[in-house]
Amino acid sequence: MKRRKRMLEELDQDIRDHIEMETQDNIERGMPPEEARYAARRAFGNTALVKEEVREVWGWQWLERLGQDLRYGLRMLAKAPGLTVVVVLSLALGVGANIAIFSLVDAVMLRMLPVKDPQQLFLLSSNQTKPVRGGPGYSGYGISLSYSGFERLRQQNDVFSSVVGFVPLGFGPESVTVNIDGQASLAGGEMVSGNYFAGLGVSAILGRLLTSEDEEHATRVTVLSYGYWTRKFGRDPAIVGKTIALGGAPYAIVGVAPPEFFGVEPGRAPDFWVPLAEEPGLTPWGVQPPKGQSFFTAKNWWWLMIMGRMKPGVSREQARAGLDVWLRQTLTGELGLSEAEAQAFVIKLEPASRGLDNLRVEFSQRLLILMGVVGLVLLIACANVAALLLARARARRREIAMRLALGASRTRLVRQLLTESLLLAAAGGLCGMAFAGWGARVLLLLMSGGGALPLEVHTNLTVVGFAAGVSMLAGILFGLAPALGSTRLNLNPALKENADGGFDKGRTPRWSLGKSLVVAQVAFLLLLVAGAGLFVRTLMNLEHENLGFEPRGLLLFGVNPAQNGYEGPRLISLYDRLLQRIQALPGVRAASLSAYPLISGWCNSAPISVEGGQTKPDENANVLWNLVGPDFLNTMGIRLLLGRGIGDHDTSTSARVVVVNQALARKFFGNLDPLGRRFCFGQLFKIDQAYEIAGLVEDAKYTDMRGEAPMTAYIPYSQGGEVGAMHFEVRTAGDPAFLIPSLRRAVREVDSNLALSELKTQSQQIDEALVEERLFARLSSFFGVLALGLAAIGLYGTMTYSVTRKTNEIGIRVALGARESQILRMVLGEAFALVLTGAALGLPLALATARLVASKLYGLKASDPLTFSLAIGLQLAVATLAAYLPARRASRVDPMVALRCE
Amino acid sequence: MSTREEKDRIGLLQGTLDLLILRTLLFGPAHGHAIAKAIERDSENVLQVEQGSLYPALHRLIKRGWISAEAGTSENNRRAKYYRLTAKGRKQLNIERTKWEKLAGAIARILRPAEQ
Repeated sequence: MKRRKRMLEELDQDIRDHIEMETQDNIERGMPPEEARYAARRAFGNTALVKEEVREVWGWQWLERLGQDLRYGLRMLAKAPGLTVVVVLSLALGVGANIAIFSLVDAVMLRMLPVKDPQQLFLLSSNQTKPVRGGPGYSGYGISLSYSGFERLRQQNDVFSSVVGFVPLGFGPESVTVNIDGQASLAGGEMVSGNYFAGLGVSAILGRLLTSEDEEHATRVTVLSYGYWTRKFGRDPAIVGKTIALGGAPYAIVGVAPPEFFGVEPGRAPDFWVPLAEEPGLTPWGVQPPKGQSFFTAKNWWWLMIMGRMKPGVSREQARAGLDVWLRQTLTGELGLSEAEAQAFVIKLEPASRGLDNLRVEFSQRLLILMGVVGLVLLIACANVAALLLARARARRREIAMRLALGASRTRLVRQLLTESLLLAAAGGLCGMAFAGWGARVLLLLMSGGGALPLEVHTNLTVVGFAAGVSMLAGILFGLAPALGSTRLNLNPALKENADGGFDKGRTPRWSLGKSLVVAQVAFLLLLVAGAGLFVRTLMNLEHENLGFEPRGLLLFGVNPAQNGYEGPRLISLYDRLLQRIQALPGVRAASLSAYPLISGWCNSAPISVEGGQTKPDENANVLWNLVGPDFLNTMGIRLLLGRGIGDHDTSTSARVVVVNQALARKFFGNLDPLGRRFCFGQLFKIDQAYEIAGLVEDAKYTDMRGEAPMTAYIPYSQGGEVGAMHFEVRTAGDPAFLIPSLRRAVREVDSNLALSELKTQSQQIDEALVEERLFARLSSFFGVLALGLAAIGLYGTMTYSVTRKTNEIGIRVALGARESQILRMVLGEAFALVLTGAALGLPLALATARLVASKLYGLKASDPLTFSLAIGLQLAVATLAAYLPARRASRVDPMVALRCE
Repeated sequence: MSTREEKDRIGLLQGTLDLLILRTLLFGPAHGHAIAKAIERDSENVLQVEQGSLYPALHRLIKRGWISAEAGTSENNRRAKYYRLTAKGRKQLNIERTKWEKLAGAIARILRPAEQ
């Protein structure tokens, strides 16, 4: 630093000496001293520029300039605190929203599994190209394989250095009854091969993880997840050695997994892991095996998911070929398929570095749509900030003109102005980061619909990099236009302007950069507002959808007594007792049970064959069926049209009956009376498996809210084959929430080991089904309103500027007799013209974009004219508000003042 | 801005100034003003050097190690900074000169047929 100062002083001295010598020379040549000095200066040229160039030669010029620019920029921003706050806040909003969504995108779609060398991991799966009799029965996601096949692969293969197997203990997130110190609750677990943790390269943070010996000796030990250890045991360091009951059997806790390890499937974090073993209470996928069979020996039950760590140097194609041999041997050897039949199966090897992709499939589309929404918000924010900065740059015209005249290069000035924009962008980005941390949590809550989604969303290098990138890009985007625009000046008139707002008479462009920015903003805004309109109306349509049953005042919960050893008639009598206890509770008007609650997304589906009907059943005419208890239809409020509902007298020993809805009756029996007719499920009508139609009910929705009610059959639950987990529906007199404590007590009195799952009201169940719609509607309208506000500020600024610029013209008009209303109309007309131009440009874009989300809409077309006209109308309304103040100010202009305004 | 008469005076090609400075210093150390004057004089006032532009060039040459700067006294007994050609600079001058002659020769060959 010191050296640099000395060098600068020397340079100064050199230049002074030089000019002095030249002056002397000139004097000697006979010039008068005054003129001699002037001529010397002229011969030398611009000293400031020379110094600058020399410093550039020295090299640390750019750093020095950056320091200067930053200091200067900070000073300029501090001078206009209002503007700075508005700009930083709108950027924080735009950038923050992008970071929030992106951190979810990162967690769901980009992040690697927190294990050793995740890119070596591959998931094995098989595809079936055509149905084969005697082929394997699938469970789970169709990516599972048989246990015996897994054992053979584990013993011998030249592809993987280690092979691990795992299977969830249920389809839902919480399906295992856990008993800790006499308290029953539900948790989600996985059964894994002994080498699971070692193979993935995960180590314990407390105690130890599972080992191959655990699997070999089928020891009842369990490893807890960090989250479960925190939630249930308050991170008790003395937890190792404690025994808890899982699915009715005692398990010793041996260790805790590290906090970042969430298993291998994002969004589905197990609470505990147990070794693969034959257990009555804990079964793969929570499914009971067929009587007398075992999942571990049955060769045609494929239920285990397998992941392998590829050996170094093996290509994916080699690996696939090797595994193909193994699959064929498994199929022909174990299942006795012919070579030709085995050809129908193809082995697949999917990279598993990011874990299983169920969440990715489910959420990626949602996240991309949201990413689009927030991208628009950022564009609008950028356009707005650009307009504001442009307005300020106009105020700085004199300063800029002065600097240009003094010899500053245009590049240098543009760089200076861009540094200011980047400063703003950085401030906005930092605020946005803070805002995003909070936003991501809210988003996660909105996306999961009440139930917690165990997804680790945190700020990592990717997210920070994205944030920095977006902020800088935004800074350049909104900074470049004003910087370029304001340095392209005609110096003479600009310098002659008064510092406080005289204007350049020379050239008044009808179409300024500021106006283009407003038009761009309106165009993007139309996209956002129309999109929000479409999503909101979709949600409204769905919320007002006629369900066919009464959702209010209805409490739902599930039980799975099979985990506590109940089966067959004992199970049915348990359900009977539960139902009687619940029906007797005060405040309960009616109660029943069903295999699946309504609007849960779950259903049974099968083709039916009607007695005496066509021999070839329609492949597409699948009937959805539900197993229901007595009084189900009445409890749900589904209206009976003909015959009778399901009652107490329909038992496993009585005649098999079914109640069908109108859709089914219409399809199979037309206008004929359906009562007394018989059908059975499957391709062939067999009289001993047939159900007789005892009642006809009105159509009601079953699995989801969308579309026509499906063809539905209600079967007494004791007549539907295996009885498993059931859900209770309780119709209450008052608020269902008040009934929860007494309901819990009632269930505990019947059996204290029963855990209630998915306890919620029917309205909550419906809300969950509408999570996506609500998410889109809420977020897009939230951002839409904010963007409207931003645009209003932008338009207000632009109109104010435009009016001030025209003060003179307005003064003349008023002097010539224009009325206030005419001036008002003139200014408002200009604002309207801007909005309508923007809308005209945005409309085709919006229509095209809306088609991309057409599948997410319900009850209206993507080009819904009402929504689009409302969106444009709303923008005009906002424009009127934003332009009214400047317009009124213009209309009250005193012509004398206006004419003197130059 | 610049509407000065430039009929007989030629602006300098990029990089030529370096060559001229090196050439001037071949006769011994000189201060900035003297270098400017020498260039003007030796070119019989055809080459016009905006005197200020000399300084960035001088500092560039110092940085490359072709010339060095030292304090001295000027002809009329004033302290001034003197610039001196280094050994490296001398070698560079030869290289630059050869390059320049080749370039000038090439351009002359191209232009000649057009004049006929």
